[in-house]
Amino acid sequence: MIFAVEVKSIRKTYVSGLIRRRRKEALRGITFAVPQGALWGILGPNGAGKTTFLSILSNLIRPDSGEVRVLEMDFQTRAMEIFHGINLSSGHANFLWSLTVRENLEYYAMLYGLSGRQRRQKVEELIALFNLTEFSRVRFDELSTGTKQKLSLAKSLVNEPQLLFLDEPTVGLDPDIARRIREFIQDLHHRRKTTILMTTHNMQEAESLCEQVAFLKEGVVRAFGTPQELKQTLHLGDTIRIHFRGSLPAAILDRMTGLYRVLLQGTTCLVEVDDHRRRLPQILDVFIHNKIMVDDVSVRRSDLEDVFIKLAG
Amino acid sequence: MKTYLLNWRAEAVKIWAFAFKNWIMTKRNIFTLFEMLFWPVVGFLSVGLLAEFAALQPSMKAFILVGVVSMGALQVCQLDVAYALLYDVWSKALKHGFVAPVGIRHLLLGSMMIGMIRGGLVFIFLAGASCFLFGFNFAGRGFVPVALFVAGLFLNAAVVGILVCILVLVFGNRAEVAAWSMVSLMLLVCGIYYPVSILPAWVQVISRCVPLTYLLEYFREFYGFKPAGSHVLIKAYAMAAAYLGLEIVAMKAAVTRAKRTGILLKLSE
Repeated sequence: MIFAVEVKSIRKTYVSGLIRRRRKEALRGITFAVPQGALWGILGPNGAGKTTFLSILSNLIRPDSGEVRVLEMDFQTRAMEIFHGINLSSGHANFLWSLTVRENLEYYAMLYGLSGRQRRQKVEELIALFNLTEFSRVRFDELSTGTKQKLSLAKSLVNEPQLLFLDEPTVGLDPDIARRIREFIQDLHHRRKTTILMTTHNMQEAESLCEQVAFLKEGVVRAFGTPQELKQTLHLGDTIRIHFRGSLPAAILDRMTGLYRVLLQGTTCLVEVDDHRRRLPQILDVFIHNKIMVDDVSVRRSDLEDVFIKLAG
Repeated sequence: MKTYLLNWRAEAVKIWAFAFKNWIMTKRNIFTLFEMLFWPVVGFLSVGLLAEFAALQPSMKAFILVGVVSMGALQVCQLDVAYALLYDVWSKALKHGFVAPVGIRHLLLGSMMIGMIRGGLVFIFLAGASCFLFGFNFAGRGFVPVALFVAGLFLNAAVVGILVCILVLVFGNRAEVAAWSMVSLMLLVCGIYYPVSILPAWVQVISRCVPLTYLLEYFREFYGFKPAGSHVLIKAYAMAAAYLGLEIVAMKAAVTRAKRTGILLKLSE
């Protein structure tokens, strides 16, 4: 398997203060490998080390120890080659304030060595792709947050990167713009096979976009897997709420498999199961078998937010 | 050597990128026009009128006008080199430049293109004004000495500009004040308004480490002021080139340090 990113035991501690030295361990030995063509997410509470991690992968920060290989190359020896194949986009986009949308894109395209017609075509293509035509002559400091974010994503594609780092790409955006950006990320991943590594605080976004997620806390990967795997590992199942008539013997569901918790509240039974699709028919069978009338059934599927709360807590 | 290094066209485009950035930022920001005209003109007129009031001999007037005009041109040119980094710091976009495949050479050469244009315009304007207002002709001893002098000034400007970039990368944006104060320090030690021989001996040691000192001595020699040593022009160029070489190494180290300390990221937030 070809890995777009391979890191082994990377550690990073920030030291500040001239007299009173303060040390903050941002990353404490992360080992991680992202296959080429993947779309993976990095989740975690504030200060978990997500941005530091992405910054190390884009060579904006040097780790204190450990190995970093990006696109199967090492920054120590082949940084310029790596830079040609990667790019990044951050939430809270910032660019040169006096340059228009088009000028900003032209400037970054030039930094990647694009010249003449090739550059003009690329800039036009990106302006069209992100519906920036009406803003192409507007200065950056006059753009709305959503348009700035679109420009940030457009800029991140000027060099057609094989590997893209997205640091909270939809933070602070209106839901409709955020959704369009998510659709774009998905499209980019599927059509261009770009490897994408993204951080986000939006769990729905991570669940809908990311094939695998790594959960960082205090500089350590606390959990890793598909959203479904994480839920299973943490025993976060789906919650089935059943309203019934009459009385329900407490031990009635005890022998069933796949049940994490059963809670009785009067005529309401809350059952937490590993997978509601498999367990709900079985539970209803038990109710029917015991001649208990069921009035209403509702299911709440656990999501990454539950994973986040459990791991961050 | 890698293919991309051999791609001279791409190299030229990357250099042009920095010139493009500085050009657009310059033409859209009124304060950069102020820098070009206001302070150099105020300094020039103050000193020129003082020289008139003091009824200085033409050679003394030439001494002072050479100093004040070169200061104006140098200040404006070095600011452009510093701005190549500072514009990104002020707009919090520094990280985007540092994940692009560009090096210090692109930053230096690109920003110097605009710096030389701006500094050159300041020099031409002030040199013309000194001829018109105070009767001092910069080209009076021929164009070659002027060209060598101005080229030396630009080389000095590159040295100061890169030093500012290094300081910003090491100390963060607290150090941006160096962009304006560095030249003022040079004003004190390099003999802009007076010969360095009147300075205390220990300051003269510092003066002798600054290429601008030799450059001013070179040009003033044409107006009857004997330099302290020989081959002052060669010394000025050699020293500036050596400093520039050392600074490029130091800047690479500063970038590495900024990546280690996290300053690079902090400057982008």
